[in-house]
Amino acid sequence: MAAVDAADVWPEDAEDVEEGIVATWFVRDGATVEEGDTLCEVQIEKVSVDVVAPVGGVVERGVEENEPFDQGRTLVHIEPG
Amino acid sequence: MAQVEAPGPETTDRELTMSRAMVEAIRSEMEENEEVFYMGEDVADYGGIFDSTQGLLEEFGHDRVMDVPISETGFIGGAVGAAMQGMRPIAELMFVDFFGVCMDQIYNNMAKTAYMSGGSVSVPMVLTTAVGGTYNDAAQHSGTLYGTFAHLPGMKVVVPSTAYDAKGLMHTAIRDDDPVVYMFHKRLMGLAWMPAPEGPKTPVPEEPYEIPFGEADVKREGEDVTVVTLGLHVHRALEAAEELAGEVDVEVIDLRTLVPLDTETVLDSVRKTGRLVAVDEDYRSFGVTGELLARAAEGALEDLEAVERVATPDVPIPYARPLEEEVQPGVEDVVEAVRAVR
Amino acid sequence: MPSVSELQEMYEQAVTARRYEERLQEEYLEGKQPAFDISAGPIPGELHLAAGHEAAAVGVCQHLRDSDVVTAPHRPHHVAIAKGVDLRRMTAEIFGRRTGLSKGKGGHMHLYDPEVNFACSGIIAQGCPPAVGAALAAKKRNTDDVAVAYLGEGAISQGAFLESLNLAGLHDLPVVFVVEDNDWAISMPKGRVTDVDDGSRRADGFAVHGDRVDVDDAVAVYEAAGEAVGRARNGNGPTLLEVQVHRRMGHFMGDPESYRPEADAERAEALDSIPRLEERLRAHGVEDDEIEGIRERANDRVEDAIVWAKDQPQPDPEEAYEDAFTQQPEGWPERPEVAATDGGER
Ligand SMILES: Cc1ncc(C[n+]2csc(CCOP(=O)(O)OP(=O)(O)O)c2C)c(N)n1
Repeated sequence: MAAVDAADVWPEDAEDVEEGIVATWFVRDGATVEEGDTLCEVQIEKVSVDVVAPVGGVVERGVEENEPFDQGRTLVHIEPG
Repeated sequence: MAQVEAPGPETTDRELTMSRAMVEAIRSEMEENEEVFYMGEDVADYGGIFDSTQGLLEEFGHDRVMDVPISETGFIGGAVGAAMQGMRPIAELMFVDFFGVCMDQIYNNMAKTAYMSGGSVSVPMVLTTAVGGTYNDAAQHSGTLYGTFAHLPGMKVVVPSTAYDAKGLMHTAIRDDDPVVYMFHKRLMGLAWMPAPEGPKTPVPEEPYEIPFGEADVKREGEDVTVVTLGLHVHRALEAAEELAGEVDVEVIDLRTLVPLDTETVLDSVRKTGRLVAVDEDYRSFGVTGELLARAAEGALEDLEAVERVATPDVPIPYARPLEEEVQPGVEDVVEAVRAVR
Repeated sequence: MPSVSELQEMYEQAVTARRYEERLQEEYLEGKQPAFDISAGPIPGELHLAAGHEAAAVGVCQHLRDSDVVTAPHRPHHVAIAKGVDLRRMTAEIFGRRTGLSKGKGGHMHLYDPEVNFACSGIIAQGCPPAVGAALAAKKRNTDDVAVAYLGEGAISQGAFLESLNLAGLHDLPVVFVVEDNDWAISMPKGRVTDVDDGSRRADGFAVHGDRVDVDDAVAVYEAAGEAVGRARNGNGPTLLEVQVHRRMGHFMGDPESYRPEADAERAEALDSIPRLEERLRAHGVEDDEIEGIRERANDRVEDAIVWAKDQPQPDPEEAYEDAFTQQPEGWPERPEVAATDGGER
């Protein structure tokens, strides 16, 4: 199982920011994606970051749309299929 | 143009925001055709204030994703000239409200050249522009001006309401040999800082596809009342229809393009329901809603039982929240209007 | 050179303006975290703050009186403060309140205070022609009032500005165009949108006086503006005055500024005009506690305006239909008359 953690996408100059938020998901839970597909857009401070699938597989979202998350959260799990 | 059936949204799992869908079409056309380029303020490094060019600079560089001086007459007129030379420029007017500083290029050059030249010169360009209120940006940054552009002959006018349509309509717009005004509603773009309502984010197939101009989309079928609208208000009308479900069976039509206007789809629906509610974020007088009622009267008078329109009253858009909310046509306004024609 | 009391006045206006923007930033960001939502919080919509532009406001407005006209662009607060706009009512306007300058209809880009002849436009360079018109009125009426149009360096490529310059030059009108050069037009650095480094050279093509103040310094602006305003007041025609300022915040609140090199933001910090003005005061023998006193007075004034504004009533929705005309036609605007349109007999 692969995962993308919030810490993986946290901008360097935003270390002191406590929370980010998922602005939009581009895939639903259970969707099959390929490596490199954009999964969601997160907003940390004022910066938008795209979260990209590190491997192909089936998506399980770790955070819902408009839900705040901290650096310790896992944003998404991917079950390689 | 030979029309290949567009792949439906059901063919993919992938959902896009409206801005990303629009950019995907632009990217694909720029990859296919060297003659397509984008000009506008803050379209390069910023990626468009409303994300209309997000990521294009990285792929195409400053030569094809051109930041321009704040000189709308100059660069929009420049796009007209490049288009007259056969290139396919896309020029962005950051907010439609700024049209005043460059309307001569739009109205007297872009829109009229094909006709004035007896068809010997065409202007195959796209003018993209952000429209709409709902976020208290006040009188100089909140208009839609749909009616203004649709009123003046010579430009095709496109108003997408979903990501799926945004992509297909953009492909069609860039390939079209005439000037196309592509009006995207800020509230629908899916910007992180201006949350969109449910609806505009849709599945979007990866391959290029066109959505033909002049084909309205029946978003919801119904027997009792026809609601015709466009842009943001497609989603508000759908919400109103949902609220009325069980009480009134509402049909909701998304025009998608104002020029050309799919009068037939509107008339077919009106013949069925006899009751028409025209809904629009533009000003009430001399605009889209009046035009829709006129066409219904011209084409289906015998079937027409009642009409109503919901639009912004004829005042500049005010700033304060209670004032903007008062003039912005809301879901409840649509609900009331539908009840009134019942 | 400005007198000590003039220096103190300018300093007070500058620190008021700075404090104002810092406090508005705080108020604006309320309700907009962690997700920045432009329509949330006590101040919705776009907000362009002018921290770092103070020298241009206080250095010029020090020479103006209430009857002189000022038009400001989308970034207006510092100029409004220096021109003497009613701070409470301006703040109420920004908070969208009924007792605001425009009863909540205008918002932060559309501030009008006829008492001190101040107006704004959020459309780039569009304050220039009305300033020319105000100068024309002054000339026709034989007053010695002047008009000042503020604009950004990004605006000097706009037709409305260039046409205004020509018209003003042609008729020797008492107008001063003040270009606030903060190096950026949103994300576009100056060098990307014009080949002319020194914007005041635009004046040459219209046989108008051009001048540029290269340092972000209220006193240098005061000197240059003194000449320009004097020229206008004495009937010797217009001036284009470009002033170097710095943008200390994003273009608007919520601007990620990913296009801006860190060094540039640091430069803006380092070249700030307010410590410079403070040094001048000290050099003129003004004591630290006096300076502190001025600051406190400024802070109190800002706080008073914000507290007052937030306590003001919201406009009544019905008020949306008032004021589009001064002589509003009867029954205007036409309102949706729901339930009146049953087709009935045809
Ligand atoms: C005619 C017009 N075009 C574009 C805009 C959008 N816009 C608002 S501020 C701005 C940049 C202005 O830059 P500058 O004049 O240098 O002033 P600054 O914001 O740096 O103070 C732009 C492009 C506008 N308001 N009006």
